[in-house]
Amino acid sequence: MFRTGISRTVLAIYLLTVAGTAIWLSAIFLAPILAGRGSAGAARFIYAAFSPICHQVPGRCFTFQGQPLAVCGRCLGIYTGFAAGLVLYPFGRGFSKLELPSARFFLLLTLPMAMDGAAGVLGFWASPISVRFVTGVVWGTVLPFFFLTGLADLFLAKRRKVARTLEKIRVNNVE
Amino acid sequence: MDKQKPEYLRPALISGAIAGVLSGLPFVSAGNCLCCLWIIGGAAIATKLLAKNTSNILTSGDGAIVGALTGIVAAVVDTIVKIPLQPYNMALARRIIDKVSEFGTEMPAGLDGLLEGGSGILSPGWFLMGLFISAAVFAVMGVLGGIIGVSLFVNKKPQASPPAATPPLPGPGDAA
Repeated sequence: MFRTGISRTVLAIYLLTVAGTAIWLSAIFLAPILAGRGSAGAARFIYAAFSPICHQVPGRCFTFQGQPLAVCGRCLGIYTGFAAGLVLYPFGRGFSKLELPSARFFLLLTLPMAMDGAAGVLGFWASPISVRFVTGVVWGTVLPFFFLTGLADLFLAKRRKVARTLEKIRVNNVE
Repeated sequence: MDKQKPEYLRPALISGAIAGVLSGLPFVSAGNCLCCLWIIGGAAIATKLLAKNTSNILTSGDGAIVGALTGIVAAVVDTIVKIPLQPYNMALARRIIDKVSEFGTEMPAGLDGLLEGGSGILSPGWFLMGLFISAAVFAVMGVLGGIIGVSLFVNKKPQASPPAATPPLPGPGDAA
């Protein structure tokens, strides 16, 4: 399973992504911990880091140790779903194959979250945090299958280009 | 046959600029609260533009590159757009937080300090750090959007070349 170049590259990117996701999720929970312990400066930094990508409205965030998490329920669901997708990836895709999921499958999994979000924006209903979380999990689960495939394809292409360049240099030196 | 290298920069500049403006404007920027809609959507559109302008079939790696560039451009444009709007955005955020607090929801301690400190002019250090963090986060979201864009917009089937002209078979009368 780990003999081919594709396998090793995908595995390396997979492990780095797992590490990055663990750090990302940890930071989300670290912010309220720090805020609760009086480390307002450090907590402020973490909340600010997530502010470009989340409204962080406290009423839409789960709480941890009495303080709101650094992201809202939907965002937490997406990142949790991403982590779940990473767990599923070796079983669903393996490390020897590079293939993007179908666009239809992606749109299907996007639908619940899109409908819930649109209904909220248009004022039809205000979904509870749990519904936002679940729709986020559903969407987030498919994202690693795009992310890992794309990055692996990119790095493999770069490796092939470097290998071709080195081969040309070797041939020129021999001549 | 040499594979033409896709030109990543132009689609990234166009889509990134639009995504950055949308991310920076008050109220409109709320789109990013829908899982970075503007950034992921902008990166996906950049992939579509890239596919239109290149004759080769794009790979998911190409989508990742143009998506990352789109995210970085969007972060820069977003930061520039927000500079004159910062006091207004902070006041708006404070009004939203105060409104939510009326329902008894506790505001995170760090957020309160951020709103107080952010109402004034940012120091260059904080400005650059904010730009760096935004660029990093938007680049990652852009990578995802670009790869999704390849799945949505790129036709994976190679263009069918016209069949080669074949000489007519000799008829019965030609053999003589």
